[in-house]
Amino acid sequence: MSARPPRRGTRLEAGSLSFTFDGRHYVGQPGDTAASALLANGVRLMGRSVKYRRPRGLLGAGPEEPNALFGVGEPPHQIPNVPATQLALRAGLTLRSQNRWPSLRFDLASLLQAGGGFFSAGFYYKTFMWPSWRSYEPLIRRLAGLGAAPLACELPPPAIEHLACDVLVTGAGPAGLAAARAAARAGASVVLCESEPACGGELEFERGSIDGQDCDAWLADTLAELGRRGARVLTSTTVVADNHGEIIAHAEPRGLPGDNTVYRICPRAMVMAAGTLERPIVFTNNDLPGVMLLGAAERYLARYGAAVGRELVLFANHDRVYASARRLLAGGMRVRAIVDTRRAGDAADDDAVRRLRSDLGAAGVEILDGCAVTAAEGGRGVRAARIAPLLGGGSERRIRCDTILVSGGWSPAPHAGLPGGGANGRLELADAIADGHAAGARAAADCGARGHAGAPPLARGDPPPRLAAFARSPCSLADEKRQFIDLQNDVTVADLRVALAEGFTDIEHVKRYTTLGIGTEQGRSSAVVGAAILAELRGESPAAVGTSRSRPPYQPVTMRSIAGFRVGDAVMVTRRTPLHDWHATHGGMLEPMGLWMRPRYYQANGASAFEAAVAEARRVRAHGGIADGSTLGKLEIAGPAAAAFLDSIYLGKASTIRIGRSRYMVNLREDGMVLDDGLVLRLGEDRFLATVSSGHGTHMLAHFEHHQATRWSARGVNITDVTDAWAVIAVAGPQSRSTLGQVLAASWQQPLAQLGHMHFAAGRHADQELRVLRAGFSGELAFELHCRPDMAVRLWEELTAAGLAPYGLDALDILRVEKGYLTSSEINGQTTPYDLCMEDMVAAGNACLGRALLDRPAFHEAGRPRLVGLRALDGRSRFLAGAQLTAAAAPSQPRGYITSSVYSLTLGEWVGLALLARELASGETALTARDPLRGADTPVRVASPVHFDPSGSRMKA
Amino acid sequence: VTRLACPFCGPRELREFEFRSTVAAAGSEGEFERTYLRVADTGLSIEHWQHVGGCRAWLLVRRNPSSGETLDVELLAGEAP
Repeated sequence: MSARPPRRGTRLEAGSLSFTFDGRHYVGQPGDTAASALLANGVRLMGRSVKYRRPRGLLGAGPEEPNALFGVGEPPHQIPNVPATQLALRAGLTLRSQNRWPSLRFDLASLLQAGGGFFSAGFYYKTFMWPSWRSYEPLIRRLAGLGAAPLACELPPPAIEHLACDVLVTGAGPAGLAAARAAARAGASVVLCESEPACGGELEFERGSIDGQDCDAWLADTLAELGRRGARVLTSTTVVADNHGEIIAHAEPRGLPGDNTVYRICPRAMVMAAGTLERPIVFTNNDLPGVMLLGAAERYLARYGAAVGRELVLFANHDRVYASARRLLAGGMRVRAIVDTRRAGDAADDDAVRRLRSDLGAAGVEILDGCAVTAAEGGRGVRAARIAPLLGGGSERRIRCDTILVSGGWSPAPHAGLPGGGANGRLELADAIADGHAAGARAAADCGARGHAGAPPLARGDPPPRLAAFARSPCSLADEKRQFIDLQNDVTVADLRVALAEGFTDIEHVKRYTTLGIGTEQGRSSAVVGAAILAELRGESPAAVGTSRSRPPYQPVTMRSIAGFRVGDAVMVTRRTPLHDWHATHGGMLEPMGLWMRPRYYQANGASAFEAAVAEARRVRAHGGIADGSTLGKLEIAGPAAAAFLDSIYLGKASTIRIGRSRYMVNLREDGMVLDDGLVLRLGEDRFLATVSSGHGTHMLAHFEHHQATRWSARGVNITDVTDAWAVIAVAGPQSRSTLGQVLAASWQQPLAQLGHMHFAAGRHADQELRVLRAGFSGELAFELHCRPDMAVRLWEELTAAGLAPYGLDALDILRVEKGYLTSSEINGQTTPYDLCMEDMVAAGNACLGRALLDRPAFHEAGRPRLVGLRALDGRSRFLAGAQLTAAAAPSQPRGYITSSVYSLTLGEWVGLALLARELASGETALTARDPLRGADTPVRVASPVHFDPSGSRMKA
Repeated sequence: VTRLACPFCGPRELREFEFRSTVAAAGSEGEFERTYLRVADTGLSIEHWQHVGGCRAWLLVRRNPSSGETLDVELLAGEAP
């Protein structure tokens, strides 16, 4: 590593920063971007293309850069796809090139290309068809994709700042500054976002004057005035997305992930003065490292003192190329030729340009009018340019060079808002600044600002560039495979031709079929050129073709920034039952269920989840047990019309429930599918408690409220969510009544003895409210204790002390499957009451929500599912939920599936529930449970869904 | 949309609201029509939203799905259109 003399540039400071790129050490200067530092170190190969793995170098100097995307940091924390042009250099930065394996200089997959394989548009869809896509997928996945996602993230959360303002101005170039000043003068509150670290934009390269001042003085005065008027000026802040009026701006110290701020801005009006992006011109092998945008070369020279090459050929279609050539010459680069697509007369029309041309000629620069660069030659970089006259006559030339700088004109940078300045196609300083001023004044007026925006600034600068549209150089059909339009996605002119030939003519279809303008690039370097070439191929004007819509974010943003603080435990709230801590400290294996955490089993009960659950369930059947049911959703429906309201939403009549009784009821969706089930308790004449499924509580509350708001024209109903107001302890098993008798006060003895199945009684325990409901989910003699949350732990511990051990959700599942009770596995949104054997409920029912659509003929066809019980034919084998059921006649046609399966120690075999085609539900056909993913096919037979105690004698004991 | 104007609470951020469904055009008769024949108009979407993070009111929102513009928010009360 030889010491280089320090570079001088407007962005650079003295000093040195060392960093690594692909493991090699380099030194840059403070103020450098990763791109400028590598360029100054003579590095030109910076990545490989995503599809063909062709070597790629820098194209641009700003957000338009399609090639030089780096992984920053070390795996597994490496952040992919950071544009080198947007990344501020800092000491110790570790950079890695992407899309290469095993190394950047030698990429194995690039041999694909050497073998002559250029994939055309739709290649993947068309080629990897036999025997199936799946056989190729692993290899393709290894090769495909931009960068690699980090496997871990240790970035700090971004700061998030919410801003509201009248006018948001995007871009602090001359037009944006004029717009911000006009809006602020008119009295609007202004936020000005500039993606570069400093304001000024193109003023950096202008030598004109504004309001009689030079550009630097005007810039300083304008920023001072904006400060005085309270405008917020945010530099290094890129507006990355417009979510229908909420603007997300993202501030990072030059694209450095971490330590960043996300601004969420709600402006009342926007001015978009994001300036322009330079267009490339497409020619054969225009993707070689060394082919760059002319404006980028000027920026690297002026800002970072970095030369893009030694021997240059310039290729343009406008007369600003001559002034550029002079500056590059002055910067020490040798300009061998300027290739101007226009004829000599066009270029020499203007006095200043004519003088420049003769000066350049005198300095040894060859000027080739009416010509185009038709091809770049070279391997890992440009070695020569081929140049041919555009209008016949004269022969092809070959000029040795290491860099070809292209400029095909300027297009507005795609952004949202009222366009102003260059973003509005105004390329001359005076014009742009006046346009920006007018846009700012108009935006302020739109917000109701009444002040006077003042006179527009009067500017004098370079004349507007004269330009003759030119998108690509002529070439043979075969060479179109090497005319690259979209460098990031390897889209060539040949691809566009294929897309058109196959009927994809619309620009949005072409984008999706060829991948033109996808990825982080989003058309910034390719959209307008691509549209122009598509127009040429379609024989239409570019305006008729249009450009595809670019997608946010405007610049790659880390998922960390998007997620903000919503990561880990903060993604969702966790709901805790009053017994949560008890479970956690007593070996309860807590698992999420919706937002709740519930114990699956208790560790002390077995070596595995399976063993523990089987033991817990057996203990409930043999003696008894307790479970935490506090997660049960509880809605209190009160008011004179409560009974009628419930009749209108439940299948069955709540109005016929007597006070002190409860009933199992279901409700339907509008389309007739069963939505939820639960017990409805009548607390009083006009007061009910509806219990709803644990995971469903909030949804069911919204459903009830929606029903009330849309179909319930009468008043007199109040719905209150009392889920958290009552803890629920389920007490089940033959000893449940006697144990409760020991635990509860003497006053409870008589109610307990008399309480009938599905009845409840209210009273007090230890001076607190207690409701005892005789019901359960296990088929045993069972009770539900509804108590105040403060009481729950005390009551729970009294019960455990009296000999009832807790059981978890898995045991609960065994108990309910043995009894054929339903959960969300059966009430899965695809089953009607008929499917679930609830004909009696429908027959006895009323015109409730969803009832009308139950009569649709399709709900009564032979192929509709029907709830059945399932046993293994041999009475031993295991079968699992999710397995498909088939009949012997058609072994590959699923006729149903297993919804639940458990091992029943009580019955000594696996039992299950299934949804089976109605015509097979009678059980005469032999069935197989097919489970290819878990490797077993089990012959099964249909049984009653109520596997255990079908008469219900135990629960009525 | 990023904000909805709740008739009770005023303009609030969208995250306070929950979308339920699009609804049939006014005048649709019969359960089947109301359930299945939803409006699919690029210029007008009629939707039910709830202000779950606020007053819990159910709202009828008319929106232009092409532009994202909210045309109208009113309280749902009684029979749905």
